[in-house]
Amino acid sequence: MQRSLHTTAAFIAAASVMGLSFGLTASAAMAAGEAPVADPAAKVDYSGKLTILTKFGLQQLSPYFVNIAKAYEAAHPGVKVELIQENDDSIKGKTKTLVASNSLPDIYFSWTGTWGENFVRGNRAVDLSKVIGPDTDWGKTLSPAAVKAFAYNGKYFGVPLYLDAKFMGYNKKMFADLGLEAPKDFDGLLKACDALKASGVVPIAIGNKESWPLVHYLGQMLAYNVPVAALERDFDPKTAKFDDPGYVAALNQYKALQDRCAGGAQVNGLSYQTAMQSLSDKKAAMYYQEIIEFDQAATKETALKPEEFGFFKLPAPKDAKGSTTALEGAPEGYMVNTKAKNVPLAIDFLKFLTSQENGKTLSEPPFGQPSAVIGGADKTKINPNVAEGMDEIAKATYLMQWLDTVNHPRVAAAWLSGMQAFAGGSMSAEDLVASVRKAAAAAAK
Amino acid sequence: MTMATATATPRDGAAKRGAVPDRRAYLRHSLLQQLAALRWGVLALIIVGWFVYYPIIDNFFVSTTTQDIFTGEVDNVGLDNYRRLLDDPVVWRALGNNGLYAVFSVIFQVFAAFVLAAIIEGLKNRTWRNFWRAVYFIPSAISTTVTGLLFYFIYQPDIGLLDAFLHLIGLQNLSYTWLGDERTAIYAIIAMSQWQGFGYSTLLFTIAIQKIPRELYDAATIDGAGAIRQLFAITFPLTREMTGMMIIVTIAGAFQVFNEVMVMTGGGPNNSSQVLGTWLYEQGFNQNDMGYAAAIGVVIFVATLITGLMQLWYTKRRRVQV
Repeated sequence: MQRSLHTTAAFIAAASVMGLSFGLTASAAMAAGEAPVADPAAKVDYSGKLTILTKFGLQQLSPYFVNIAKAYEAAHPGVKVELIQENDDSIKGKTKTLVASNSLPDIYFSWTGTWGENFVRGNRAVDLSKVIGPDTDWGKTLSPAAVKAFAYNGKYFGVPLYLDAKFMGYNKKMFADLGLEAPKDFDGLLKACDALKASGVVPIAIGNKESWPLVHYLGQMLAYNVPVAALERDFDPKTAKFDDPGYVAALNQYKALQDRCAGGAQVNGLSYQTAMQSLSDKKAAMYYQEIIEFDQAATKETALKPEEFGFFKLPAPKDAKGSTTALEGAPEGYMVNTKAKNVPLAIDFLKFLTSQENGKTLSEPPFGQPSAVIGGADKTKINPNVAEGMDEIAKATYLMQWLDTVNHPRVAAAWLSGMQAFAGGSMSAEDLVASVRKAAAAAAK
Repeated sequence: MTMATATATPRDGAAKRGAVPDRRAYLRHSLLQQLAALRWGVLALIIVGWFVYYPIIDNFFVSTTTQDIFTGEVDNVGLDNYRRLLDDPVVWRALGNNGLYAVFSVIFQVFAAFVLAAIIEGLKNRTWRNFWRAVYFIPSAISTTVTGLLFYFIYQPDIGLLDAFLHLIGLQNLSYTWLGDERTAIYAIIAMSQWQGFGYSTLLFTIAIQKIPRELYDAATIDGAGAIRQLFAITFPLTREMTGMMIIVTIAGAFQVFNEVMVMTGGGPNNSSQVLGTWLYEQGFNQNDMGYAAAIGVVIFVATLITGLMQLWYTKRRRVQV
């Protein structure tokens, strides 16, 4: 069996013999290959070092964890918090390097879906069901949907920190100057693009150098065009068929959007950040972005002022066969390493991180990350767009997870490279779906 | 054999017998010295073996497995990863891109750099020689990652420096999505690499040219040989060793390309600019397929090993002594 599992089991067993308080029970379960379970009654030993891998490496976000770490150290002088801060792109490689070298920190960032499942499957995430499950005191302080997003096989493994979803940010003034309103359906969006283009403005800035931005467009369109049951069946390579006609329909809708709203095939030559800058610099009228980026797209320093910034949900086509009330997005959060020397301390830190006060700080500018804590946002202090976006997330009947993290890596890779080919015109919609189907079949073996 | 040994007498033999303890002491001392030297050598061998050769050998074993980095599960699959390599169109595309890299690099970083070095060294004015050496060398002093980012901005459609320049001179029709098009992405990256590596090769060639005795050029000039004849009859043959070495280094380097591709395109669009190094990374760290990544690593190793051996053999055969 797995070497790492043996090592973990031996480690936990040895620790138990030595009488150390790990807050873990069920060593028998460990022997059976199950994740150690966090004990809510475990006494916290406020000493030693706590290592944390965050996804807040960007300049404007990094102070959040630095401040939290300082506050926690001040409250518990015996504890030293060590941060490893990465950004959205670098954290994928960093995490896998740390996993491969068995150097995962005590607390680490995770997306939901297959990404998080990997840690559960590899027995690298502590089962937090007894401390964060929906019926626990801590669990009740967090958005139930966000907590549920980290559930695998009926157990809860992650602590959601904030909610994320994708919306179309736009320049309200540009729209108003042309007598346009936020479009209500997909055709309305295309017509708005025509009007904007005729006025000499780039309607939508799209940057797909990183290959995942287009997959985000597609994710929302798939939710509109493919029934949820078919989508969820296809997330698992063992049951995947990718035979729903909604896949091709969604791809063709994206193509229409690219041709009429963006710079055609040149989208692959621009980066996501460069495209966002186009909206901030008023060179483009719209930009499809995450709610956690609202506070970066329009600031006092950018040409686009916060009061000129608006957003709307990517409009659904009139004849949508999927869910028009679905929204692409997912909470993002943190897991506790099964090899952490002091699991109760790690859990205590995460409780501190998700306190009402820290939740409010996270939701407010300059961070603008919608906290997963219930009431963790003072609507009078946060960006009104973020507040409105949070309401939209709450209204969504289905959260469509990111295609590149919910799918098996091989299937995700087929979507990523295939969308670049599709956008560049070297692959048809039918061929792209066929290549994804082939990747799923290979992944199922 | 020495004369003293050849004409040895019995008295000498007695003297030798008397010298036996000294000789033994000498041998013992010599042996101890050799052992002491060996001790340091063994240490170096262990370090090199552990950090260089063991990973290479281990990589061969890893390439015959499938490994899941999350669970640590390892399954032996024999040569399945190599069979998969043969059927993987991206591997062939990556190999082709590495080959293109090698061809362009040899043309620009070896032959063009050699010509440029000869021109620079042919300048009479020392100040100008130093100036041009510095001008061409400066790009090499910038890190590849920084250069990659710099060229990413230069190549940006519409707002990049290159397209802005084309607009400025009225050639806006040539404006293009250099990095965003499957047909041009790899060439755009290769062009950046040549810009960066050209000066370094030139500098190495200038050093090699400086070692050629000036008398040869003086004699050739007296014999009526022009600059081009001197280039091919003197400079080129007498820098053959450096040229051979540069070809090895350049081709081997072309199969180890990683940073520039990662920074500028990440291997896209649609894997069109993948090279073996980036495809290895994609498989190992994004697709969680370490066994297959190791098999790609073996391909890189074999390609560079073959190149190195061929070039060493060629250089040895054609070596010219001054």
